[in-house]
Amino acid sequence: MAAPMSVDQQIKLLEEARRVVLNDPNYYQQIIQGILPLIDPRGKGEPQRDTASKVELQRWGAEFLAETFASPAIPPQQKETLCLTVLEALRSMLDDPNQDNAVVKSVVQTAASIYPLVFRWIINNSYDNQSWERIQAIKTRILQIWDTAAPGTVGPEANAMRGDPMEVSLGMVPPNHSSLIPRNLEAEASGLLDRMLGIFQESISDAVLVDATLNSLAILIRARPQVGNRIINVILNFNPLKQANSPMTPKSRVQIKSMEKTTRLLLVNINKRDPQNPLAGRIQQYVERMMRSRNEIFDEATRKRGPPEPTDGLDAAKRQKLAQMPVPVPRFNVPPLTPGPHTIAELFTISAEKGLESFDVSILPEHIVVQIGITILQKLNADILNQAIEGVRKRYTSMQALQPQQLNPSTFPLGVEEDDDDYDPDFDNAEDTEQILNKLDSAPPPVIEEEMAVKAPDIAPVNYTLPPPPVMTLEEVEQVGQGTVGRVFGVMNTLEEPGKKTKAGLNRLAASSCDRDDWITIITRLATRSVAGLEETDTVKTEPDAVTPFSLSNTIRNSLYLYILEDFRKRIDIAVAWLCEEWYNDKVQMKAGEESVLHYEKWVVKLLDGIIPYLDTRDKVLTRFLSEIPGLSLEVLNKVKELCKDPAMVNLALTSLLYLVLMRPPVREIALDAVEDIWNTYEDAKPIAAKYLTKWRPGFADRLKDKEEEKPATPQGITT
Amino acid sequence: MAQTQPQPANGSGQNVEGPADGGFKLKFCTVCASNNNRSMESHLRLAAANYPVISFGTGSLVRLPGPSITQPNVYQFNKTSYDSMYKELESKDARLYRANGILNMLGRNRDVKWGPERWQDWRVGIPRLEHAKDQGSEGVEGGVVDVVITCEERCWDAVIDDLLNRGSPLNRPVHVINVDIKDNHEEALVGGRGILDLADSLNKAAAEERKLNPVGFDSGSASSRSSFDERVPEIIGEWQERWPNLPAVWTLAWF
Repeated sequence: MAAPMSVDQQIKLLEEARRVVLNDPNYYQQIIQGILPLIDPRGKGEPQRDTASKVELQRWGAEFLAETFASPAIPPQQKETLCLTVLEALRSMLDDPNQDNAVVKSVVQTAASIYPLVFRWIINNSYDNQSWERIQAIKTRILQIWDTAAPGTVGPEANAMRGDPMEVSLGMVPPNHSSLIPRNLEAEASGLLDRMLGIFQESISDAVLVDATLNSLAILIRARPQVGNRIINVILNFNPLKQANSPMTPKSRVQIKSMEKTTRLLLVNINKRDPQNPLAGRIQQYVERMMRSRNEIFDEATRKRGPPEPTDGLDAAKRQKLAQMPVPVPRFNVPPLTPGPHTIAELFTISAEKGLESFDVSILPEHIVVQIGITILQKLNADILNQAIEGVRKRYTSMQALQPQQLNPSTFPLGVEEDDDDYDPDFDNAEDTEQILNKLDSAPPPVIEEEMAVKAPDIAPVNYTLPPPPVMTLEEVEQVGQGTVGRVFGVMNTLEEPGKKTKAGLNRLAASSCDRDDWITIITRLATRSVAGLEETDTVKTEPDAVTPFSLSNTIRNSLYLYILEDFRKRIDIAVAWLCEEWYNDKVQMKAGEESVLHYEKWVVKLLDGIIPYLDTRDKVLTRFLSEIPGLSLEVLNKVKELCKDPAMVNLALTSLLYLVLMRPPVREIALDAVEDIWNTYEDAKPIAAKYLTKWRPGFADRLKDKEEEKPATPQGITT
Repeated sequence: MAQTQPQPANGSGQNVEGPADGGFKLKFCTVCASNNNRSMESHLRLAAANYPVISFGTGSLVRLPGPSITQPNVYQFNKTSYDSMYKELESKDARLYRANGILNMLGRNRDVKWGPERWQDWRVGIPRLEHAKDQGSEGVEGGVVDVVITCEERCWDAVIDDLLNRGSPLNRPVHVINVDIKDNHEEALVGGRGILDLADSLNKAAAEERKLNPVGFDSGSASSRSSFDERVPEIIGEWQERWPNLPAVWTLAWF
């Protein structure tokens, strides 16, 4: 270093040196020796530089040391010898009270890395008091900085302190060691841990600190089980969402989200590593509760405008607020009605305000009315509602008491004119009815008019009867029927998928646990054991082309069919359950009556037709379906045979048939027939089919042999 | 590229420009599931802006769309190059893979680095000198980064979980930020812009911290100045206001 170089030139040189060691860690010893004088703040043996350049060099050097002692590329033994040489430099860099932040950060990082190394060295070389004193001094200084420094630098320090005294097990210290006293170290470590965990109990949590600490705790919990539970308990009492009550700035939003997520991930990580730990249950609860609260806070805050939702009782913070301000319930007065006749509207009007009274609600679109209604019901104090209901009830009973007088036929005038109320349900309805009836030409209009004349003034609640419903056309019936079926299926989607199956045994009551399975049972029974009169009655066994009259059962069946096909792999259970019901119903019908229509066979074939095109070569669904449905016919087996047209499906079809042969003795013969047919018809299927037949069909092997002999003569010789 | 003028060199006041000896630069790492679309788009962007950057995927395998949703093209991490994927898919069905943008993407990727790398297999702190040809490799020879940016919450979770399992052997803090990007080409482009903006904002703050003249620095007033680490939540908060469609999560973890 003859002429003083510029800092940039020097750093360039240093970078080259760094490249050398990155390539080959064997040179570290030399390089470190070379750079130590450069970064030593006392600047020994270096030309005097301005402070800025000195800081530049120190930053580089400290960073380099941090990198060196963290590097997994250097074996620990080498690091152990290296670390003793840098202790003094680290100490003097830290001691400088005006030290640059970046330098401090790197030095702390280095110190954290070398502490266990030095510790190990001292254990084995108890004479080296000097090194021990140095590292102690460094530690003390870092703790001092922790007290005073800005949170940003504390972050790494928190980790540096991460139970470092415990990093190298105290168990390794021989009891008679001259400078290491285990009891003292243990106390010190425990104090440090307390200090770290104190972060979680402070009122104002800084996310940088909290996150940094959380993320460094995992290893401590793992490596030191004796303090693990204590740490976890502290975390479980920590509420990262605490600050979410006050209005959030973009920054605090990031911080709160971050602390919540970091806490959650740490706990999940702990549970994943050791699912048997005694706190697993509590951790699980905590994690779930956090997720719920988080969703409430952040999803609701971001949602612009939605339907008002009931306040969720789960959020402790919100609940507190409500509890603090109990709303006094005002007395609510429903003025009694004046004597004399009243409209229904008047009966229910409890507002004294004239303008509101004359407002016609029916001009509002229905969905708005519903929305207003729901909102009001949610916001309304139950007490007030009860008072209002009570008031109206009183009015009603008082009116009822007056009724006989008012309706005295001789004195009571026809009330049509008197009643200028907007509520007159009969009138519109009667006209509707009239039109429909006219169209259908099935009822004489005068009757209606007469009825109207009588009904119209009938406002008094007691004597009111509903007008007869209009007669519906067939199409309407069908439409409404389909709507009903649609709703029945709609319910199912809202039900939960059954979680775990419990075997209830034979004595269980079907459809008693209100989940999706039960609803399916209800639907299948609705379809199969239908109401009398809605069942189709044609004795011709369902021609597909014929226009079948509407049948509720068939509509349900069709919907069921579509529902199963939507996801047949998952819903094959439903298919089997349904077909069992159909089969049973068919049997019952056959026993009971002459004119029964059989459904089972038709729907089996239809389902099979639906499923087959989507089968995958390794699907077990077909095998399961065939083996679980209550009856098998030749037609069904023919469908399976046809599968073999696709060479890829041969195996599937044959396996399914083999399963039938093995597991369903009653159909064994027809299943074997089917296999034989396949053997005859499909060239691709021959080897496997022959294998099965040889095993299961006595005499087949011989025939096979015969056939092979006469093969040249008659290629398709064998028939059964 | 123009957005990221290298910060003027600190202290000495020399204005050096260019990746070799420019101002202070944070080191970045981008992460997505397959290290193909989102992480590579942002890798390229950050590299083009002269940031040191590396990238990884957290999935078990590299999965690229195939002829149907059930038939993805699957490759091994660390063992398959972008170039070989490109050639294979081109020979399989050039029209299809050109139309869905896969070839285009792989073509871009093979100019950035050799092949997809898996996060979980990354040995943090092992020198990466052999990656010298990768774009953005300058500055990350030491095998560590300052900021990890994931492109999907699932990946963020995987990264944090992995770091917890590693037990922070390096004692080195790292900011891990998720920027949620949908996995398609268009969103990856938008996300890449967002990530570059985030990187610029973070780097500006970090460079400012280092630029503060240490001469007049009085340790007594340390608490009055905010350090870079401390400013990160604020920077992300501000960034989130600018990019409301890329929801972000952040934490400070350890290598």
